[in-house]
Amino acid sequence: MYIYRLVFLLVLAIYIFSPNILDWWTSPDNTWYSPYVIWGGLIAIGFWLEWRRDPNEF
Amino acid sequence: MSFSATGLLLASLLYLILLFGIAWSTERGTLLRRWVRHPLVYTLSLGVYAGIWAVYGAIGMAAESGYGFLAYYLGISGAFLLAPVLLNPILRIGRAYQLTSLADLFAYRYRSQWAGTLVTLCSAAAILALLSMQIQAVAVSASLLAPDTSPKAISVMFSLIVVLFTMLFGARHHQNTGNHQGLVLAIAFDSLVKVVALLVLGGVILFGVFGGTAGLEQWLAEASHPEVTMTAAIDDGSWRALLLMSFAAALVLPHMYHMTFSENPSPRALAKASWGLPLYLLLLGLPVPLIVWAGQALDVGVPAAFFSIGVAQALDSPALTLMMYIAGLSAASGLMIVSTLSLAGMVLNHVVLPLKTPKDQGDIYRWLQWVKRLLIAAILFLALLFHETIGQHLDLSILGAISLSGTLQLLPGALGVIYWPEGNRRGLIAGLMTGLAIWLITLVLPFSHGTDLLIWLDLPVSPGYDNWHLFTFVSLTANISVFALVSILSPASAEETSAAQACSVGALSRPQRRELLAASSNDFIQQLADPLGMSVARREVERGLEQLKLPNVEFRPYQLRRLRDQVEVNLSGLLGPSVARDIVKRHLGFKPLTHGGTGQDIRYVERALGDYQNQLTGLAGELDNLRRHYRQTLQNLPIPACSVGEDGEILMWNHAMEFLTGISADEVVGAKLLALPDRWHALLDDFNRDNELHRYKHRLDLGGKPHWLNLHKAALSGPDHTEGGSIILVEDQTETRLLEDELMHSERLASVGRLAAGVAHEIGNPVTGISSLAQNLKLETDDPSILETADQIQQQTRRISTILQSLMNFARTGNHAHANRYEPVNIHRCIEESINLLSLSDRGMGISYLNQCPQSLQVLGDEQRLVQVFVNLLANARDASPDGGTIRVSGNRDGYSAIIEVIDEGTGIPADQLDHIFEPFYTTKAPNKGTGLGLSLVYSIVEEHYGNVQVESPANRNTGRGTCMRLRLPAYEPETDTGNSTPNERS
Repeated sequence: MYIYRLVFLLVLAIYIFSPNILDWWTSPDNTWYSPYVIWGGLIAIGFWLEWRRDPNEF
Repeated sequence: MSFSATGLLLASLLYLILLFGIAWSTERGTLLRRWVRHPLVYTLSLGVYAGIWAVYGAIGMAAESGYGFLAYYLGISGAFLLAPVLLNPILRIGRAYQLTSLADLFAYRYRSQWAGTLVTLCSAAAILALLSMQIQAVAVSASLLAPDTSPKAISVMFSLIVVLFTMLFGARHHQNTGNHQGLVLAIAFDSLVKVVALLVLGGVILFGVFGGTAGLEQWLAEASHPEVTMTAAIDDGSWRALLLMSFAAALVLPHMYHMTFSENPSPRALAKASWGLPLYLLLLGLPVPLIVWAGQALDVGVPAAFFSIGVAQALDSPALTLMMYIAGLSAASGLMIVSTLSLAGMVLNHVVLPLKTPKDQGDIYRWLQWVKRLLIAAILFLALLFHETIGQHLDLSILGAISLSGTLQLLPGALGVIYWPEGNRRGLIAGLMTGLAIWLITLVLPFSHGTDLLIWLDLPVSPGYDNWHLFTFVSLTANISVFALVSILSPASAEETSAAQACSVGALSRPQRRELLAASSNDFIQQLADPLGMSVARREVERGLEQLKLPNVEFRPYQLRRLRDQVEVNLSGLLGPSVARDIVKRHLGFKPLTHGGTGQDIRYVERALGDYQNQLTGLAGELDNLRRHYRQTLQNLPIPACSVGEDGEILMWNHAMEFLTGISADEVVGAKLLALPDRWHALLDDFNRDNELHRYKHRLDLGGKPHWLNLHKAALSGPDHTEGGSIILVEDQTETRLLEDELMHSERLASVGRLAAGVAHEIGNPVTGISSLAQNLKLETDDPSILETADQIQQQTRRISTILQSLMNFARTGNHAHANRYEPVNIHRCIEESINLLSLSDRGMGISYLNQCPQSLQVLGDEQRLVQVFVNLLANARDASPDGGTIRVSGNRDGYSAIIEVIDEGTGIPADQLDHIFEPFYTTKAPNKGTGLGLSLVYSIVEEHYGNVQVESPANRNTGRGTCMRLRLPAYEPETDTGNSTPNERS
């Protein structure tokens, strides 16, 4: 179950710091579409993880 | 720019008819059907989540709070990116137990009808606000395009069409567990329309309004005000609340649960959607800032939420305007259809059916279909009523917030299903009641009715548009705390614990092995006929049998328990888990327990572990390997073994047992001992019930031959295994028994031999005396008659002496201690000597002897005794031969053996006598011709010489005559000096 605890802690941390993360994404120094680029990057990671995943995992 | 009311109505109708067409042609099985199971269609159908938020709500929020609107998309994106640990377990449980809604899941996991009902009511209350939001968006957008249209008329008309669609395509497939394929494709089409319309509008704005990215950058630089450029810091509270609600939405929103789990074509599709849905939502969110900036740049005179229509109007493009209207219409209709459908299913299973089980209905499927249709109509009517009385006076964003914070109360229970087996129904219900009460008091009543009960508490804050998130968090925190506290303090029932285990991640259900009242699958039909009616009961039981690939009539207890579970699962899909469980529990009951506890269903667990094999890693994988090792050891044990539960059910039946009994494990494992064929049933069942632990040499006739079996039994119970039952070993002693018989026979013969020798010795003395007296008599008389009598006496005494000598010789055999006095013997010479001896007493029959044995053939042995062997063999051959016959003796080497054959031309030995010829005193000769000891003596002497004797009769197969006696003796090989001597020995 340790993997689930790690995931839970990670999600909680991201959740707590999410406003700061978004402020960083949308700071005036960045272009208007920066949040979407970073979001797209996360989707790409999700795609990669799904692509290489063992079908029996979890 | 405006449209006529008729034109707008026509456009709306045309679009909805197109949706009907897609759904209808899919259901009819056209080409579109091939697409239904495609992950892309599944992912697009999940786009129903966005609803009118995509087209209107997000834009309104972006205009107010910048990028804060992304929370609505990012939360659920996070949930889908975490699908392997969050959604897959729910999908697994849902598919295994046919749980079609969140209420089903709760009722199953927490073993409580109340939990299901509470979830249904909570969802219904929250969904009304969400439905009202959709109706409002469509009505307002229509009135923007055609100002002379009555918003009320549009609301009613729109709702009616949605009711019709949902009734037609949502309530169709009740009797089977198949997906609503037409509906899924129609919803996916809705999502496609939404995203295409928004991307087209975004593109037009970027290049038409701002003249490309450079123009946009320049406009943003000129605007520079943070609120205009959407770079103002976001409000942490509302952002977090919206993010959390959006995250929870993946699990707790009825329409999302329905599309994600109930309409899921395969786990693979969910894996694809784990990144596909976030990508889709990204595309939906991408044009939002552009639309907001275009609305500001063009200064459109509509509320910010409707900028998409306002901008299209400002661009003076009727096609674009109509497209945006249709996008809004499709978004709203999709969400309304799916949420109404899923809510109707929940109300049916958790409010209607618990109150009224359709006992007297002829066709239960039809009855359910119509009740569901009525519920769909009732829900949409209520939503319309809510919209007309309350909803239309509220802002779109606050309607969304109220709705989502209501469903958020279900999140703790939903996560508890997979991650907290200790949570119980009391905790869940108490937590939910607390959370919902706070939600009602702090959010629903103040916004919908203007009633602020918090004034009485004299709190420093009162609910408003800027602090609603506070109350969302308060209600959720109270919910979680009460849930946890009550769960820890109150005990959970055994049934609930078992369900919690079944739902937990990586856990297997551990069913109890109890005996059903029903003895066969036909009994199932009879028992279920009471609540379901005969035809439905028959159909459901037959469906279960077919799914489990069982014969038409099943008797085995283990398979009946599986069938019971399968029937419950199937009924759960039809009537909801609570009613299904209730029916199965009441009508397919177990026999009362005769003692404290029951055993676990070992076979069930083994089967489940077998299915899980590839998924077990680390310690669990190692333990599973160990389990397989021991299982294999038992299976391959060369001694027949089986284990039996306390109720007489066979739990294990190994390969040796299969071989001995000729019954395969598949046939009997899970069945009672009673189900075995009579002879095995009588033996094993009797032994299992008996108190004795061992039973020796039990005779059982198998295949016409007697078998002797030793049975041993040991109880299975012990400190680590409190369940009863026993393991039975069956030893096949048939061969040992036959050997013992043979040994006893030999012993008996040996005794007879010893007795005979003793008798011979004792008789020998008086016979010698008689012979001497006869000799004396001859000396004392000249009377010829007396002399003749004395001669005869002497002849008879000599005859007696010969017999006695044979007996003495026979009794002397069997002592191998003489072996060390053996010397090389030339077989040819032995045979010659034997022939000479026989010739002396040849009775003139003209028998010719041919000694063809090579001179070189030598064996190690006692020459005199070997001569005795050949004399006996040749004498027998002579007696059997016809006058003038030939007896041939040949010899040769075969490896380390010398083979000597004595072949005659006699009549041969009948087959039935072959087995007896070596027995002492067995003879086929006339009474005065033989003692029956000759061949016994041959056998004994050859054995002493470590050889053996074979008989072949007839020796000549063509004529069918003759006997061949074949001796096999170890050949003697003279040692040569050069062979084994060392140089030292030579010198």
